[in-house]
Amino acid sequence: MTMSFSLPLVKMQALHKSYANGEIQVLKGIDIEMKPGDRVVVIGPSGGGKSTLLRVMMGLEKIDSGSISFDGKPYISSDGVGKKTIIDTNVRRSIGMVFQHYTLFPHLNVIQNLILAPCKVRGEPKAKAEARAQALLERFGLGAKARAFPAQLSGGQKQRVAIARALMLDPKLMLFDEVTSALDPELVSEVEQVIMQLASQNMPMMIVTHDMWFAKNIASRVIFCAGGVVVEDGPPEQVLGSPKEERTKEFIDRVFHIKQ
Amino acid sequence: MNYTFDFNSITFAPLLRGLVVSLELTVAANIIGVIAGFGLALLLMSPYRLLRMPFMLFVEFFRCTPAIVQIVWIFYCVPMLFDVFLDPITMGVLALGLNLTAFNAEAYRASIQAVPKEQIDAGIALGLNPWQRVLYIVFPTAFRASVPVLLTNGIVIFQQSALVAIVAIADLMYEAKSLATETYRPIETFTVVALIYFAVSFPITQIVGFLERRRQLLAG
Amino acid sequence: MSLDFSVLARFEHALFLGLVTTLELTAVCILLGCTLGFLVGLARTSRSTILRLVSGTYVEFFRGTPVLIQLFWIFFCLPLILGVELSNFASGVIALTLYMGAITSETFRASLKSIGPEQRDACVALGLPSRVQVTSVILPQAVLRAIPTLLSNCVSLFKESALVSAVGMADLMFVGQNISNNTARPVEVLTVVALIYFVIAFPLTRAVTLVEGRILKKLAI
Repeated sequence: MTMSFSLPLVKMQALHKSYANGEIQVLKGIDIEMKPGDRVVVIGPSGGGKSTLLRVMMGLEKIDSGSISFDGKPYISSDGVGKKTIIDTNVRRSIGMVFQHYTLFPHLNVIQNLILAPCKVRGEPKAKAEARAQALLERFGLGAKARAFPAQLSGGQKQRVAIARALMLDPKLMLFDEVTSALDPELVSEVEQVIMQLASQNMPMMIVTHDMWFAKNIASRVIFCAGGVVVEDGPPEQVLGSPKEERTKEFIDRVFHIKQ
Repeated sequence: MNYTFDFNSITFAPLLRGLVVSLELTVAANIIGVIAGFGLALLLMSPYRLLRMPFMLFVEFFRCTPAIVQIVWIFYCVPMLFDVFLDPITMGVLALGLNLTAFNAEAYRASIQAVPKEQIDAGIALGLNPWQRVLYIVFPTAFRASVPVLLTNGIVIFQQSALVAIVAIADLMYEAKSLATETYRPIETFTVVALIYFAVSFPITQIVGFLERRRQLLAG
Repeated sequence: MSLDFSVLARFEHALFLGLVTTLELTAVCILLGCTLGFLVGLARTSRSTILRLVSGTYVEFFRGTPVLIQLFWIFFCLPLILGVELSNFASGVIALTLYMGAITSETFRASLKSIGPEQRDACVALGLPSRVQVTSVILPQAVLRAIPTLLSNCVSLFKESALVSAVGMADLMFVGQNISNNTARPVEVLTVVALIYFVIAFPLTRAVTLVEGRILKKLAI
């Protein structure tokens, strides 16, 4: 275990979230710390809160109580159910997210999708943004598709474009929400390869997924989340190979049993 | 504005008479439109081109020309062409009925074609013969889906019925115009009559909205 | 009885002028009506309750009453209220624009609603401010999705325009009825009038299906 005195990149404390005014509890006290360079893979049963966690991180959902700090700065906090959730949008801009259904803008072609945010939000000159975008697309093997429209791309291509689009803003943390779940099996590996590329460049990331490939090959840490709480949190060999908690073991057995 | 409002000048008796006529026209046209529309829809989906074409032309003609042109045409031309005398109300019902039949036929056709193919496949897999498939699978689903559109079309015909005033049938619109000119009180008359039309149409459109929301909820 | 279409030969020019009036009226009302409909459609989805109520009442009223009575009201009543004389062209434009505004507002409202909430999520994830979100992402998609239904709204307007003949405006229907009365040959004249309307409306309705297919393909909806 490396001794590190650097500040945590992300610090989530006592996150609580519910729907329907407190009736449906989704997050029941989440505490997670991410160190710089961490690649966290969150696994767990559906409805266990993993996607909600990511959406909260991206500032897409409110929380009931708890706080999140990013890079030492306060980011999200709330004092109670019904009270306002405070989100620092400047901090939010350093986080990028890719969704399960790609959510590209269908009326714009690939390049336009990529340069929209840098140009309109940061005022980056169009030519510069296009050049950067083209370079990114080349890196992901999509150089030829720059002028294509999303409707003309396969699922795997769309997802890679979605990842490139998020990267155009130089995020300090990338969130991936079930990014391979909607893809045909043959198309999954091209997306896995792109994320592997990012991992090798030390991009910190939090990946929510059913796809155990991520847990086995990319994760520096695996978190098993069920029933709105963190059940187990540790290195992949431990959580996947010899889990400490009974519940984790049950889940891993079931998943690998299905896979076999 | 030099106008003194006087709602007392509105005598409701002629307006009510007119409303009854409008409603009679609407109901009669709807009976024709709902039944004949279904038959027409089946003909439109026939596999025989020779059978389909003339009826498709009929439908397109009624959908692509103004209702007022249809009404005026039937009024002046049918007696001449077929050498018959039909009383005005019958001609009104004929015009509105044919118009509604064309629109309803399209509605039925769309809802029949919208029955998911998987349901029909399931019927085949269960050994149902073509007639049984139509009776137990296609018809119930299609009919339920077409109810909102049929109701909407029915209410549109109620509003289109106002056009028969132009060929001097004494419906609500005609009585309104008469009353307005007699009493020199167009604002009160036309406003009240507009409200009457609205009062009849609005509840039905609300019911349609309710039915559609319920269907969406059930469909999940 | 014998049909004699040659009676129309004398009236070609008159019919043509009537058609031009109809087309002019339709074109003006399409432009004004779509603009009005767009604004009303936005108002119906706004957060202000007053805006929603007012626009909602307007739309329900104009969709729930006969266009003929709307036209009569504007033609007979509006001058009395405003204290000015209104030409039948002006009355026609006002009435048909209000009608078109009501039906297109429904079209825009539906197309705005049909854009999934994920699009908003993607905008937030990219840090796009509301203004950019609306102008660069939501609006373009809403307009594209609305085009097929808008085309069919235009065809409806074209058909309703025939009603202005009832207030004496010299459109195609008015001219046709006059000729029919003059020549006492309603079958030939009215049939030709109907055919003229048909020949214009029918290709447009076919175009709706074509355009819909194209747009659906481009956006893969």
